[in-house]
Amino acid sequence: MEAPPVTVMPITSGTINMMEYLLQGSVLDAALESLLHRLRGLCDNMEPETFTDHELVYLLKGQQGNPFILRARRSLSHPTAPWHLRYLGQPEVGDKSRHALVRNCVDVAASHSLPDFLNEMGFRMDHEFVTSGHIFRKGAMKVVVCNVSRVLVPGNTENTERMSLSHLVELSVLAPAGQDTVSEDMRSFAEQLRPLIHLEKIDPMSHM
Amino acid sequence: MLKASVDSLISLVALTKNALQSFIYKLENEYERLTWPNVLDNFGLLSGQLNTINKMLKNEKTPSFRSQVIIPLVLSQKPDDDLTVLTEQRVPVFSHEIVPDYLRTKPDPEVEEQEKQLSTDAARIGPDVAQVSYMLSRLLYFSYFISNSWSSRLNKPSFNPGDTNALVAAVAFGKGLSKCRPPGPMAPGHPGQGPMMSGGPTLQQVTIGGGGGQQAGMGGPGAPQQQGQPGKMPSSIKTNIKSASMHPYNR
Repeated sequence: MEAPPVTVMPITSGTINMMEYLLQGSVLDAALESLLHRLRGLCDNMEPETFTDHELVYLLKGQQGNPFILRARRSLSHPTAPWHLRYLGQPEVGDKSRHALVRNCVDVAASHSLPDFLNEMGFRMDHEFVTSGHIFRKGAMKVVVCNVSRVLVPGNTENTERMSLSHLVELSVLAPAGQDTVSEDMRSFAEQLRPLIHLEKIDPMSHM
Repeated sequence: MLKASVDSLISLVALTKNALQSFIYKLENEYERLTWPNVLDNFGLLSGQLNTINKMLKNEKTPSFRSQVIIPLVLSQKPDDDLTVLTEQRVPVFSHEIVPDYLRTKPDPEVEEQEKQLSTDAARIGPDVAQVSYMLSRLLYFSYFISNSWSSRLNKPSFNPGDTNALVAAVAFGKGLSKCRPPGPMAPGHPGQGPMMSGGPTLQQVTIGGGGGQQAGMGGPGAPQQQGQPGKMPSSIKTNIKSASMHPYNR
């Protein structure tokens, strides 16, 4: 399971609205080592942490157009760790000058009966994939370098196949709403990784 | 007015001296822990202090120190304790040896001659457009040469924007996963695409209403595009939910 987000708020009536600031890029496998070295130098000094996760994306289709999406994630390297359920909202269309993708984010931990529970609630699994890679941290910023593999037979995570010859790189910060200095810090960190990779704000809707 | 400006000059110079001292101490004793940004900070501090001194000297209210003359009234060979303490052990005796060094106002005669020579030479050489443009063109040539030779060695691309988009799309909404017939072009250099397509039904994952998702291998339903993209065929999805839906994690 990837390291829990920097703050995990219990769901009480007075929750702070957490936003996820995100920048994404990718690196070819050939350049992966140099990227990992650079990240190891730039980020906080800790033991390099690897992870293997299996993520399932559940959809609840209502009568109106947009389905409700929940992401359930479990660790394949720590099978007894709890599941991690995440809701990600629509990206905020604020000013164009904001450098990172900002969206509402709610994270909770869940027990191992999560898939059954979601199925009973009416969610249907839309797709699943397996990611494995490295995770680095710098202050509140989290950098994840992972490869994405598709699951060939549903439910069988042994039999996976890499989607492409690149690793996905994501720089994310979980912060309460309204802190714009966060995206500035993220951009200056992303500058330090050029020209090896270009981390940028990629709107997922534009690739639909 | 002279006294006030001299006092302020003394205080500024004392600050600069302290900064220099602490910097030298750091360089000599703590050089293992010193990082380049720290060194730059120290240099910045020193340059700021020098700037302050310059500004103070240029201030119109400061009398010109050049017009003042310092004449030693008494020179002695005996060590002077007060002077020693005042100068931190550096000048114990106010004697004939220290006067030429500390009270100097003009450079040595030889040095003065050389400087005069150089300044007349410099005045003689007017701007020569042809020479300047020749030197600039040589500089340009070298810079292009260097950038080309270095960049050819270092310019192997380390990321592929097409891959970026494919990976982001896959993680964001499952493009290329499970629906098996991806609508757009897949990530380039993906070798497994061909054999996958021929075994299409094998890779159906979420077969709502299709049934038999749990059968490994060739149990694929005959209607591979039943669900397609969720947004595209809402009606068929609705009917499927109403029926008893089979899904991969059926108990």
